[in-house]
Amino acid sequence: MMTMAEKMKGDYEKIRSDGQYRIGPDIPTITYDAIGRRGITRMDGYEKASGQAVYTRDVQIAGMLHAKVMASPYARARIVSLDTSSLEAKPGVRAFIRFDDQEIKGKMLNGSYFGPEWVCPDIAGWALKPVRPVLGDEAWYEGQPLGLVVAADNEDVAVEALSQVKVEWEQFPFVLDQESALAAEAPVLRPDAKDNLLADPRSLIEKGDIEKGFKEADRVIEFDARRSAHFWAGAELPSVLVRWVGDKLEMWVYQQQPHHAKMLLSEALNLPMNRITLHTPYMGCSFGGRGNPANNSENGINILAAMLSKRTHRPVKLTYSRREAFFGESGDMMSSHFKIGFKDDGTITAVDIKNVFAVYMCTPGVEHLIENTSIPNIRCQTQTADVSKGPAWWCRCEQLPNSFCLTLLFDHVAAELGLDPTEVALKNDGYEGKGKSHLLEYKKKYGFPEVDSLKECIEAGKKAIGWDEKWHAPGARKLPNGRMHGLGFTWNHEWDDVRGTASAAVMIENDGTVSIIAEHPDIGVNPWTAYCQIVADELGLRVQDINIKPFTTDSGFALMSPDGSCNLVTNGIVVRKAARKAKTMLLELAASKFEGVVPQDLEVKGEHVFVRKDPANRKTIREVVAKAMPSFVSCAFWTEAPVVAWAWHTQGLWGAALETGRPRLCRQAHFVEVEVDTETGEILVTKVVNVNDVGKAISPETVEGQMYGGTYMGLGRALTEELIWDQKTGVLLNRNLLDYKYATLVDYGPIKTLVMESGMGHGPYGSCGIGEATSTEIPALLSPAVYNAIGVWIDDFPLTPDKILRALGKA
Amino acid sequence: MKKYTCPYCSMGFASVEGLKEHVVTGHPSEPLPEPEGLVSFTVNGRKYSLSVEPQWTLYYVIHDVLGLTGAKMFCDRGACGSCTVIMDGRPILSCMTLAIECGGKNIETVEGIATKKHPLIDAYVKHHCMQCGYCTPGFVTTAKALLDRNPDPTEEEIRAALGGNLCRCGTYPQHPTAVLDAAKTLRKG
Repeated sequence: MMTMAEKMKGDYEKIRSDGQYRIGPDIPTITYDAIGRRGITRMDGYEKASGQAVYTRDVQIAGMLHAKVMASPYARARIVSLDTSSLEAKPGVRAFIRFDDQEIKGKMLNGSYFGPEWVCPDIAGWALKPVRPVLGDEAWYEGQPLGLVVAADNEDVAVEALSQVKVEWEQFPFVLDQESALAAEAPVLRPDAKDNLLADPRSLIEKGDIEKGFKEADRVIEFDARRSAHFWAGAELPSVLVRWVGDKLEMWVYQQQPHHAKMLLSEALNLPMNRITLHTPYMGCSFGGRGNPANNSENGINILAAMLSKRTHRPVKLTYSRREAFFGESGDMMSSHFKIGFKDDGTITAVDIKNVFAVYMCTPGVEHLIENTSIPNIRCQTQTADVSKGPAWWCRCEQLPNSFCLTLLFDHVAAELGLDPTEVALKNDGYEGKGKSHLLEYKKKYGFPEVDSLKECIEAGKKAIGWDEKWHAPGARKLPNGRMHGLGFTWNHEWDDVRGTASAAVMIENDGTVSIIAEHPDIGVNPWTAYCQIVADELGLRVQDINIKPFTTDSGFALMSPDGSCNLVTNGIVVRKAARKAKTMLLELAASKFEGVVPQDLEVKGEHVFVRKDPANRKTIREVVAKAMPSFVSCAFWTEAPVVAWAWHTQGLWGAALETGRPRLCRQAHFVEVEVDTETGEILVTKVVNVNDVGKAISPETVEGQMYGGTYMGLGRALTEELIWDQKTGVLLNRNLLDYKYATLVDYGPIKTLVMESGMGHGPYGSCGIGEATSTEIPALLSPAVYNAIGVWIDDFPLTPDKILRALGKA
Repeated sequence: MKKYTCPYCSMGFASVEGLKEHVVTGHPSEPLPEPEGLVSFTVNGRKYSLSVEPQWTLYYVIHDVLGLTGAKMFCDRGACGSCTVIMDGRPILSCMTLAIECGGKNIETVEGIATKKHPLIDAYVKHHCMQCGYCTPGFVTTAKALLDRNPDPTEEEIRAALGGNLCRCGTYPQHPTAVLDAAKTLRKG
């Protein structure tokens, strides 16, 4: 019976209500055919392998101009004068815009998108840093785009033009690290500020009573740790291509969140959203790095290119070189002080952490201890300092501080007690200060499978790396080759759905094939194949008959951007909803074409609709949906009435997921084996084992790919990836991929990936996210592994050979 | 002063008219001289004669002029292998090669490899050797050059051959599997 309130619901309320996430397990109602099957051809595979996949950097339009922006050579400086007279008559220069141009002067990047307002420049991320002018005259870091942008016939002319202008700079004192920035004598970097402390709404997090927790402890330890900056350094270089068609704007963008980009552009250019078309070609990496629409390299270049295109009446492509693209680290720079109280059996009773971040932070460091453990008493105090470095942005991912703190904390406790760290993990597994029994109650209450995910992950991982045979006391095992052998272990929950809103349509074409209609930017995580697998199984069709062409915002529907490991969780649900609706429509249409049946009598399999009780009585889907009009009633051919259905889904806004009381139930465990050369300080990673309980692997090869990729990125961050600034000039010294070293095929030993499927994720079919978890977990894991090898803690990342030798007293 | 020089015999002339008369009468049947900057080479079996500027890289010519966008600019300076093409059998970095020096060369790009249905393409798709896909063509061309000179490579040889190609998505473990698979298919004929 419908209640009166439900009867009152109009279409809008119904769509909104249908699209809300509700707590509970996702028990499949269909038989899996494509879902979970290995060997399904990637949607993007041939295009990418054959070189035919088009990226923004590849797109050219006849007559397009090339634009370049000037960059600051100094860490902190102001333009005193800019002489652009050399550009006036320079052959090939078609337009330039100076910082004091009336149209750009005072124009600001329009802020971060994450907050309750349309744009919220002050609430999160690097927007705390006052680097807001689209084209200003003040530099807050070396390499900052500012001052002048030039459009020319080709890139060489544009680069040469920038080099020929005369700039007079006034330099100011700068500061590079967070502790120095907060010292009393530090130069204050922001105008009108009294110090370099940035407002951070989450500067204090408290749970329980830490004093009580320390009193209950058998032992208390304290230690310091530190992380330097690393950088995502994606494959494709930032670029945008713009053209105006009358008063309409058409753009090719390399952005992870194109729908947000469109909203910001609309505001920045005072242009109605319905006059903006964004093309979203393939993207050469992102990891969140192309997911900051408020940055100079995204919002900024979009605005500048659009202005230049307007002035020149020509298409304009603005590009960054590798050197120009090398700023903006991953929210890494932090120094930490830990104080931990625990019992002799490994039960942790109190955690007190002080973290000092540089430029940015939105994850203070203890959130995983709250979400993930039974530790009852926690305090975390954070300070965020402004420094003379580029804007930071969350990049695979913003949980790095949380993972960093959890790993170091647990491994230090285990080492102090001489316990196996896997035992300490199991002892403290839980949720919001409560133990495993609370998790079990939750699983029972909502009907989730009652799997002890952490236990299963640990057991599988231990077996794969040979933990029981190889685990030893710190510094106790010297190998025949002279190197010291070490093992490391860490764990966490899986990244689950915390945000995401999506809309999509499923349409059956006249020939019986199916199109998923929605914009979606590809960053390489093979989501489109997964969507097609889901739609195929829900409709009962073959996966090769489903397609998606998500390369433009003009379809109107927008899938959740590939952020926060929520891509599949949110979008999987929305395409499933649309597919189910489309199937209902298909069966209604089909019933009218069979004799004496109602839709419920029919089923779909492969290419056919058939009567359940008489499968031989069947029609192809093509016969059902093809033009049913008897003659040329209309010259536009479509299905009789189109079989197309759309759906909307929201999986919860950022932060709100936890408030709904949804503990994360799936766990991950990672193991690493190293050899440390005590003569050279080199760390050789000989084996890595990743265990991820992804709930349900829709595409197993894709899950494995994310684990491989996360491991390589994580090992790079732990060992070799470091941005190095010259202390005397504030100049970033290694702005290239020869001096900024990330993993190659030959650097590390084998990686064993184990995919667990407990069905306890909050996503479709019990799945959860996999994109970020491994790369965020691996970096800090190298410290306990090195400790196990040489018996000395070096919690100063990255763990470069010089630090090893110093720790061993050899340098 | 003899400002104009005959491109065939280097004889000098004071005026264009004088040079014209000399060429018409003295070299009536000789082919037209190649203008400065004209370079001829073969790409994927097709001959091209192009006027190139001296600073143009082979990458620029292949990607921007010929529109063969499979060669990718990734590192921007010879560090990543994404712009790799095969030149006279050797994998080379097209971003570090001047086009003007490529006269007479035989060049193969990923598009040519795919058009010929080389088994590497299917193997790369089958084994998920790509995520964002930006570096993938560079791996394919490097692997093709390896298989051309060594049809039965060991896994170690494959790792060594592909060791100079960067992949930020970290697809590395899948590549040796795919190359071994493709090599097997090739040997079967």
